[in-house]
Amino acid sequence: MQFEWTEEQDAFRHKIRDFLHANLPDDWEKFSEHGPASPALTAFAREFCVKLADAGILFPHWPVEMGGEGLGPWEQQILAEEMWIAGEPRGGQYMNVNWIGPTLEKYGTDEQKKRYLEPITKGQSLWCQGFSEPDAGSDLAALRTRAELKDGNYVINGQKIWTSYAGLADTCFLLTRTSDDRKRGITIILVPMDTPGITVRQIPSLIGEGDIHEVFFDDVTVPESARFGDEGQAWEIIGYSLRNERLGIPRFTLARAALDRAVQMLKDAGDFDSEYVKIEAARCAALCEAAGTANYAVVQRRVDGLAIGAESSSARYATVMAERAVCEFVIEFLPEGLAGASPYLKMHHQRGIVAGVAAGSAEIQLNIIASEVLELPREPR
Amino acid sequence: MQLSLNEDQTQVLDFIDSLAKPYATVPMHDVSLALESAELDEALVENGFLDVMAVEELGPVMAALVIEKLARLPFAVEAAASAMVRPLIDPELPRPLCLMEEGKARKPLRFLRPGATVVVVGPSGVKSFTATENMIAPAQEDTLYGYPVAFLTSQPDSMTSHDVDAAEILRAWRVAMAAEAAGLLGAALASTVTYVSERKQFGRPLATFQGMRHRLAEDQVLTNTAYWMAMRAAGTGSQADAAMALHHAQEAAKRVCYDYHQFLGGMGMTLEHPLHLWTYRLKLLTAELGGRGAQGLAAAEALWG
Ligand SMILES: Cc1cc2nc3c(=O)[nH]c(=O)nc-3n(C[C@H](O)[C@H](O)[C@H](O)COP(=O)(O)OP(=O)(O)OC[C@H]3O[C@@H](n4cnc5c(N)ncnc54)[C@H](O)[C@@H]3O)c2cc1C
Repeated sequence: MQFEWTEEQDAFRHKIRDFLHANLPDDWEKFSEHGPASPALTAFAREFCVKLADAGILFPHWPVEMGGEGLGPWEQQILAEEMWIAGEPRGGQYMNVNWIGPTLEKYGTDEQKKRYLEPITKGQSLWCQGFSEPDAGSDLAALRTRAELKDGNYVINGQKIWTSYAGLADTCFLLTRTSDDRKRGITIILVPMDTPGITVRQIPSLIGEGDIHEVFFDDVTVPESARFGDEGQAWEIIGYSLRNERLGIPRFTLARAALDRAVQMLKDAGDFDSEYVKIEAARCAALCEAAGTANYAVVQRRVDGLAIGAESSSARYATVMAERAVCEFVIEFLPEGLAGASPYLKMHHQRGIVAGVAAGSAEIQLNIIASEVLELPREPR
Repeated sequence: MQLSLNEDQTQVLDFIDSLAKPYATVPMHDVSLALESAELDEALVENGFLDVMAVEELGPVMAALVIEKLARLPFAVEAAASAMVRPLIDPELPRPLCLMEEGKARKPLRFLRPGATVVVVGPSGVKSFTATENMIAPAQEDTLYGYPVAFLTSQPDSMTSHDVDAAEILRAWRVAMAAEAAGLLGAALASTVTYVSERKQFGRPLATFQGMRHRLAEDQVLTNTAYWMAMRAAGTGSQADAAMALHHAQEAAKRVCYDYHQFLGGMGMTLEHPLHLWTYRLKLLTAELGGRGAQGLAAAEALWG
């Protein structure tokens, strides 16, 4: 075991940092308080991702065949960490390079690859992920949005909810039901968001403007060629892509950066003397580092080409614990941070509080750990 | 010992219930971050509900009961400081009352606005002044706390000194916050229980999952005991009871706010469900008077010196 980064990895990290330093506007910290899905940040990201592409740091982790540099999982991790700590200047486009692109490459038709990969590599596309429905959240396989094949077209009817980025996305990675088989009846369709019959409603939320939406599909008609993979293959494909997403956001790094920022503010105010404040801060730091180790253990599995199962749930839950501790620490000792005194802490709070729900609830991760890591006998049905 | 409500207490609480009825629910799609109602406030003042402590037959436990009851409303009411602390300083101080720890002006103050009375409590005693426009900076608009909050940017050179024991005011402040937290805890629990009993996933109500049931049941234990600790602290007037009551409430708040937002899933992130009104008030209360650590030290000091 060896816990230091290589010289090349350090250099890669510094290259990204230098780039961010040189290219983020002076008022970025205040600006990034706009959520990653807000119109402001989405517009910003459309320009910023072009610059990243030009500098070769939009998708350097992609294989050479896809136009990347084939840098590998550690570099992908470093890239994600630096972007997330900086407030995610890629907006929703982080999804493109983390899992949409690789998933398109693995399962897409030639036509789909041609149509969708290029805009991703140019920093010009925004996707949304239409999975959850009002009655299918944790129980995703209960989804009901129907797609019926009629005369060479799919006609889609139903509703999605909590869809991030939907208001501004150009394409939806949509899960639909094509037969009654719970899991094998689910099919992915790539739907342009300007197709007639789609209505998007933003849901007012605690996490800022533009983040979560309801999306209604009313006789939305797309050609059969918009199907992604085979009918009924969705469950296999999203298993692949969600595993990428579960690690996609290195939240523990921002939690740690927010903690460091909070401690500095307390020191500046002369309020970091008491032992209990120090003990609480150290507890938060340990939880952030614990989450880091769990995440890195999963990255190592990717490097080694090993299958990733419940380890990613374990890493995610460790991350939720860290996010929770830091969010609570900041409110307990620096409540002004969320009321205007620190855009960075507010930004962290709004991104941190969703850690236990977005991309699958923490409690569902616990069920997975119990069943698959501990191999506990299951509850009788 | 006599732990059930007496007739007066029952009557006052029933009165409040009927008066607050129009404010007990908010339409799902009409929830802002900090809900207030001037009419409700006025009605409470007019009917003397914030002055019950000074009434001989009613006293501090009644004040705590009133605070607890009002905290359950989705609307934020400045009741705690007015009903429990103001009578000890000067019952005529203009409301709302904003309690501030000496030297802690960096923190957001609840209900701070022009005309509010700021009471500064600390080693140099208890002082107050009336806040004016030029001393106040608004908090950012979308602050999440569920209370109206603002910052004090300056303090006047001369303030009114009050000839009261600062330690006694601190004690009452702790009790008032503990009582408010108890009400918030109760309302947040009720709201969550309703949601998870109705919401189905995997073909069954969420509340049938044992993992959730145990956590909710523990949350109930914390909520119930937070209520009793607050009432006891109001009744005994003991420093140790006050510090432990607020410590317990702040511990409970951290625990349950996390649980409830988890249990609501995506719904817990919206402004279309009222949960956040209680949980974000509770979160801000975890910062009150230095947080759990400070309450712990105060309790230890009072208990063992
Ligand atoms: C900020 C944000 C962004 C999101 N973005 C997207 C997106 O872009 N696209 C998309 O499709 N979805 C998105 N989601 C939806 C997210 O995936 C769901 O919220 C999540 O899967 C939980 O589903 P739910 O909200 O319906 O909660 P429910 O399934 O109703 O569950 C509520 C809670 O019940 C508990 N629970 C549920 N099942 C069990 C069980 N078996 N045992 C014990 N406890 C249980 C858990 O505490 C859970 O959190 C987003 C959510 C958020 C908050």
